[in-house]
Amino acid sequence: MEIQIKLYGSSKMLSENDTLHVELPENSNIGQLRNSLKKLINARYSKNNLGNLPNSAAFFSEKNEIINDNYKLKNKELISIIPPIGGG
Amino acid sequence: MSIHTALVKTEGQKISLENAKKFIYSGDHGAESIFIGRVRNENSGKKVTAVTYDAHDQAVIKSFKLICNEAKNKFDNNAKIFLEHATGYAPVGEISILIAVGSGHRDEAFKICRYILEEVKHQSPIWKKEHYADGKEEWLPGHSLRPKKEIK
Repeated sequence: MEIQIKLYGSSKMLSENDTLHVELPENSNIGQLRNSLKKLINARYSKNNLGNLPNSAAFFSEKNEIINDNYKLKNKELISIIPPIGGG
Repeated sequence: MSIHTALVKTEGQKISLENAKKFIYSGDHGAESIFIGRVRNENSGKKVTAVTYDAHDQAVIKSFKLICNEAKNKFDNNAKIFLEHATGYAPVGEISILIAVGSGHRDEAFKICRYILEEVKHQSPIWKKEHYADGKEEWLPGHSLRPKKEIK
């Protein structure tokens, strides 16, 4: 199945577009998405200082609520990746 | 209406201190506290020329309203609060955040202002990318919103 991730902050280095498309096995959850992102970063973005992103980021559902690692993703679902924040 | 919150896109707009003062003014208030955060020209020994602010707009506004209501409930239900944060490219000197509070007394006004600033830094999904004089740029580290029990 395919998941769309809206990119914010440092995660924007993962794509020139606002959204990243990730292929995952059916019934994957957020924990599995984190592992997939780790592999992607190790393979293509190892020089971008993003190594800790899959572990430190939160994810928001389309309702802007934090979703935990057991959350089951649906095909074509759009979620947001929320790297560690620091406004002000 | 006692709370105003907004994200202000730097392309074409500026955060206005005058608007903030007008909003919080009330004859019921004996104290006004205003905090202005600006883009600074230095960070960790690096010469900064500008900062780009990125934000999850909907989640930020939701968090701003929640934080302001919490502050009123905690310190002064009759307070008036103005909270704006910049998004987009902001050169050195530009206002990044403005918090203005009108309250009955100075103690509550100071406390609300400080409370909102600290909570915005810990709850509102906003990110900073610094631009340096040598042409390099860097996303700054921050506070993780991932549930603590999940972080390995």
